[in-house]
Amino acid sequence: MSTTADLERLAEDLAAEARPDRAGTGVSPHRTALRRLRSDPVAVVSGAVVLVLVLLGLLAPLVTSLWGIHATVGHPDAPRPSEVLLFDGYPAVGPPYEPFTWQHPLGLAPRTGVDNLATLLYGLRTSLGVAVVATVLTTLVGVGVGLVAGFVGGRTDRVVSFVIDLFLSFPFLLGALALAPIVVSRFSTDPDGLALAQVVALVAVLVTFGWMGLARLIRGQVLSLREREFVQAAVVMGLSTRHILLKELLPNLVAPIVVAVSLSVPAFVAAEAGLSYLGIGLTGVPSLGQTINQAVDSFERYPLYLWAPVLTVMVLVLALNLLGDAVRDAFDPRTRR
Amino acid sequence: MAGFVARRLTSALLVVTLTSMFVFALFFLGPGNPAGPVCEAQGRCTPERLAAIERQMGLDQSVVTQYAAFVRGLVVDRTVVVGGEHTCAAPCLGISYGSRQEVTEELARRFPATLSVAVGGATIYLLVGVTTGSLAARWRGTTADRLLVGGSLLVSSVPYYLLALLAWIVLALQWGLFPGTGYTPLTEDPVAWASGLLLPWLVLGVAGSTQYARYTRGAMVETLGEDYITTARAKGLSPRRVVFGHGLRAAIAPVLTIFGLDMAALLAGTVFTEQIFGIDGVGSWALEAVRAPQDFPVLHATVLLGAVLVVVANLVVDLAYGLVDPRVRTS
Repeated sequence: MSTTADLERLAEDLAAEARPDRAGTGVSPHRTALRRLRSDPVAVVSGAVVLVLVLLGLLAPLVTSLWGIHATVGHPDAPRPSEVLLFDGYPAVGPPYEPFTWQHPLGLAPRTGVDNLATLLYGLRTSLGVAVVATVLTTLVGVGVGLVAGFVGGRTDRVVSFVIDLFLSFPFLLGALALAPIVVSRFSTDPDGLALAQVVALVAVLVTFGWMGLARLIRGQVLSLREREFVQAAVVMGLSTRHILLKELLPNLVAPIVVAVSLSVPAFVAAEAGLSYLGIGLTGVPSLGQTINQAVDSFERYPLYLWAPVLTVMVLVLALNLLGDAVRDAFDPRTRR
Repeated sequence: MAGFVARRLTSALLVVTLTSMFVFALFFLGPGNPAGPVCEAQGRCTPERLAAIERQMGLDQSVVTQYAAFVRGLVVDRTVVVGGEHTCAAPCLGISYGSRQEVTEELARRFPATLSVAVGGATIYLLVGVTTGSLAARWRGTTADRLLVGGSLLVSSVPYYLLALLAWIVLALQWGLFPGTGYTPLTEDPVAWASGLLLPWLVLGVAGSTQYARYTRGAMVETLGEDYITTARAKGLSPRRVVFGHGLRAAIAPVLTIFGLDMAALLAGTVFTEQIFGIDGVGSWALEAVRAPQDFPVLHATVLLGAVLVVVANLVVDLAYGLVDPRVRTS
């Protein structure tokens, strides 16, 4: 995966930065990075796009209730499928047969009659929610494992490195394939439980196969930081390991962590939509990938139904990726002025 | 060297064994009941019928006994009960709950399609990626270089399956290009084989090549700054020989490592490709097996196959590393 290679490149850059010949300029590296980010047009534009999409996702309940649309089939206020659907299963209002209507800007879904805009907004919410939770958890696991392995060293480090290699060589898609049917068969009689279990299982798969890159990067960083004077001084002063890890080492690892976070959010958004598209992700809650899956079959009759979620995922992942890339460049000491 | 090979082989075997145990435990010890789909397939499933089927399938025995039976089946023929008795020739990966056929037979039937997609795509992205990456490094700083870098960033920022889906919809469905996309066995009709897989190969190739172009460019820019490149230039060698003869030889090793690590991504790409272009390979088989009624033996076999492929790819790359880069051999 590209993220691993990107992180490895970053590690080299950071190692170059750690050389003592860098003259102090009086501005902290993080502030420099922020300033560079603000003057980077790609970062500003993609950041704005991300902000709009995040707000739309966050405010999905508000927007849909103001608009009077609903994302679930059984909602009491929503029109019954039989009222809005024709005999062939396609909607009686809006596209593909009738002209555009403000009531349902993206039309209704065939067969279920659910509003497409509402599904899209809630799908955005699901995607971003899953990605953010998975990113937080992978960061915690990755940083924790990396810190301990790098600082303690010895046998612990060898075992951890072996486990990292083991997980790196196992495709996460296979993990999702193995886990999905178990979740479905366990909760097949309980739709609400199934929806929740799918979200939990999906996050679990993403975290299980997503923590290794950061752990490896942090471990490498800690290995070199451990030899620096301030850490050795802390050891000599008899400070607790906990203090050294959290108060001495962690503040020096902010840059790689920020970069890893900003690159893993788009990766997780893409992974969630991809798995749901394949039918091994989420089926119980609105999800962009799931809508794409359903819309492919009716594409020739009803293109808008497919284009809306496809373009949304594309724009979201693209903007997040470009933003993450800009963040990495901003933190990259090689191009620092 | 022999010690290195032995160590790598041991670790590869360990990874495959652990994966197989993990997946087995997940299916047969986890919350799902493998007897459930078999029972449901035969009409109304009462608790007594379920219990009887569990006993027939040996699911009431300890998971260690069951795993031992599975491992023994890899070397000697065994009898498997799935709704009836089936003999399963070694190496036995079980009997499919859906088709009641030996899993290995169907795997052998479907694997060529998957292999064709993966090998064709990988060939294109390695060739295109390494070539464009080297050229970009040679023309470093020019407009061509910036376009290449920008374009590759853009393409690799979009999820692969969306690119494939767009290619399928726009190129194949709307514009009617690439008619007859699908899989025909190579042995049956080589022309139909190649023309049917052309679009999947191109999509997989283009999407994958952007990353390799970036890796190659990075490695080449570094290599072209080395002293021996300056020496080669000073000797009056043509720029092409300097870049592709002297530079690429040193820069290709890290790219190969990434190729090995990327095997997992290639497999994922193949699953999406099969699904989108309607190719009847191992990936779409696994996805079918996930859908109700679930087919645990098929899933177990496909996940195991994926793990084996990834491990073997890494092993081959590790061993090939020494061949490509003599500096590794001596150290």
